[in-house]
Amino acid sequence: MEKGILDVVGGEIVGIVTPVSICMFLVVTLVHILDPRGEDAPVSNIAMMVYNEQASDSFSEKLGGALLNAIVFVVIVTLVTFMLVALFYYRCTRCLRVYMGISAFTVLAWMGGIVAVQIIKLYSIPIDVITFLICTINFASVGVAAVFFCRMPIMVTQGYLIVIGMLVAFWFTKLPEWTTWVLLLAMAAYDVVAVLTPRGPLNLLVELAIERDEDIPALIYEARPTVSGRMQMPPSPAQMGSDAERPRVRRWNRRASRSSNPSPDTELGESPMSSGNASQRDSTLTAAVDDSQNLITGPPTEPEVGIIGSRLISSTGEGGALHAVSIILHENSHMDDDTVPLVQQQTNSPSSPATLGRSEAEFDHRSRPMNGATQHSEDGDEETGIGLSGAIKLGLGDFVFYSVLVGRAAMYDLMTVYACYLAIVAGLGATLILLAVWQRALPALPISISLGVIFYFLARLVMDPFVLDMSTNLVFF
Amino acid sequence: MAEVEVNRRDMEAGESPALTSAALGLHYWPTIDGPLGVYHEEAVNLAKSFYYVGFLCLPWLWFINCLYFLPVLRNSRSDPLIRPYVVKSGIGFLVCGSLLLSWALTFAYGGEGLLGPSWKHLAVYDIANKYQQIFT
Repeated sequence: MEKGILDVVGGEIVGIVTPVSICMFLVVTLVHILDPRGEDAPVSNIAMMVYNEQASDSFSEKLGGALLNAIVFVVIVTLVTFMLVALFYYRCTRCLRVYMGISAFTVLAWMGGIVAVQIIKLYSIPIDVITFLICTINFASVGVAAVFFCRMPIMVTQGYLIVIGMLVAFWFTKLPEWTTWVLLLAMAAYDVVAVLTPRGPLNLLVELAIERDEDIPALIYEARPTVSGRMQMPPSPAQMGSDAERPRVRRWNRRASRSSNPSPDTELGESPMSSGNASQRDSTLTAAVDDSQNLITGPPTEPEVGIIGSRLISSTGEGGALHAVSIILHENSHMDDDTVPLVQQQTNSPSSPATLGRSEAEFDHRSRPMNGATQHSEDGDEETGIGLSGAIKLGLGDFVFYSVLVGRAAMYDLMTVYACYLAIVAGLGATLILLAVWQRALPALPISISLGVIFYFLARLVMDPFVLDMSTNLVFF
Repeated sequence: MAEVEVNRRDMEAGESPALTSAALGLHYWPTIDGPLGVYHEEAVNLAKSFYYVGFLCLPWLWFINCLYFLPVLRNSRSDPLIRPYVVKSGIGFLVCGSLLLSWALTFAYGGEGLLGPSWKHLAVYDIANKYQQIFT
C-alpha cells in the first residue's frame, strides 16, 4: 500500500511546524507572565542604537525613528553575515566555532539566567544563589556542547535549540513597538535579498558550503527523520569492510571512523521512509541494503548533496521517486543575535532516489564529477551543529523572528496571538510548497512575516473592536 | 534472525580481537536514538568523554549520558565497554543530585531560622533586588 505524498510530506511538515509552535508558545507564555503589556523598560539594545522610542513622540517621529533603527540593524546584520562568509571562506572553522560557542553560552547562561531570576522574583521561589548558579552553568554548558560540539540525544539538541530561540526572541520582544514591526518587515526584505540575489551573503554561504560539502557552522534546527525499521541492527565491523555491493554499509564505516559528529543516519534510517513500503516489510539489514541497492543503482545523475540533508520522498520503492525536499534555514548567531534566516533546498534528481545528505561519501565520489563540484575527502572536517542529514532543517533565525512577532502580538491581546499564529503557520506551509516547486534556496521569513503583520494589524484594528463590542453587548460570543 | 547468524559467522572468521559490541552478538542500538545515534567505537568514546567531563561539576552531563545510553543501562548484560561509564555516570548523578537537592530544600524550608542572617545573603530573590538595574 503506497504511502501518499501527503503522508510523507505531512510528517515532514509536522516535524517542522511542531518546534516552531512550541517556541512560539513558550515565548507567548513568558511574555504573558513577565511582561504582559510591554511595559518593561527596554534594555539598551543594538537595534535601538539610533533612536530610542518614547511614548510621547509623534507619529512621524516614531515611524522615522523606527525606520532608522531597522536600517541600522539590517546593515549590521549584513556586515556580520559577510564576515561570517569570509571566515568560512578562509576556513577559520575553529574561530567560528569558538565564537558560536561563546555566544550560545551567553544566550543560555545570561539571558536564561535573567529570565529565571525574573520568574523567581515573580513567584518568590526561595532558591539560593549557589544552587541557582550550579544549575544555570550546568544547563548552559551542556547546551553549548549539545548544539555545537557533541552528539547528544536528538531530543536534547532540539530542545536546547528551541530554548535558545525562545530566549533570543524574548529578548527581542523588549524592543519598543514601532521598532519591532518595522524591524520585522526590514528583516523579511533583507532575507529575500540576501538569499535570492546571486551576491547575497546567504547565497554565497550556501554555495560555499555545498561546494565544500561542509556544514555551515550555525544554529540550525533539524527535524528528526523518523525511523520505522526497529529491528535493524548496527552494522558489524565485518560487514562494514565488505564490498561495493553494500554501499550503504560502507558509508557507515566511513562515518564511524570520523572523529566528530558522524551521521550514519540517512541510509538505514531513511530507506524505510524513502522507499516507502519496500523496507517496511523487511526488517533485516540485508533487505534494507538490497533496497538501497535498487535505489542507488539508478542512473547516477546529480545527487545534489549539499549542506542540507536531502530527504527523499518517494512514493514507490524502486522506480518513481519524487524529488527530495529539504530545507535549510540558516542562522548566524551573533552576540546580539542577528539572525539571518534562509530556506534552502537541495534536491536529488528524480531518477536517483537514493537518500543522501553529506553522508554519502561514496556516492559522492562516484557521481560528484557530474556536479562539477570538487571532491573532498573531508575526514578531518568537523561537522558542527547537528550532524544529522536527511531531514528538514530550519535556521534558528526564523524561529526567533516568528516568535518575536507572536510575542509582540501577545502584548496586545490573545486574539492577535491566534491570528498571527495561524498566519505564520500558513506562511510556513506556503514556503515549504514553494520549496518543492522551485527547488532552490528560499528565504523562510518573507511570506510568514508579511502575513503575520497583516493579520496582526487587521486583528487589532478591525477584528478587535468588532468582536469586543459584540461580546460586551451579548450579541455574539 | 538469519542476519544475526550471518554476523556471528562473519565475526568468527578472524575479526580483530578488539571487542566491539557487535562482536558480542548484540543486536540493538546502544543509544536512545537508535539507528540515528552513535555506535561502536564512537559510542565508547562518547560515553567515556561524557563521564570524565562530568567531573567538572556537571552532574547534568552525567544525566544526559545515562539518558543517551539508556538501552545500555537497562540491559544488564550489555556492552561491557560502554556500560561501566554509564553506570558510573548514573551513580555520580544520583549522588550529586541528592546532595544538591538536600541543600536546596534545607535552604528553602529552613529559611532564616536555620541559617540566620546569611539567608538573606544567599537568596536569589534578595540579590536580584539589590542589583535591580542589571536585571531590569
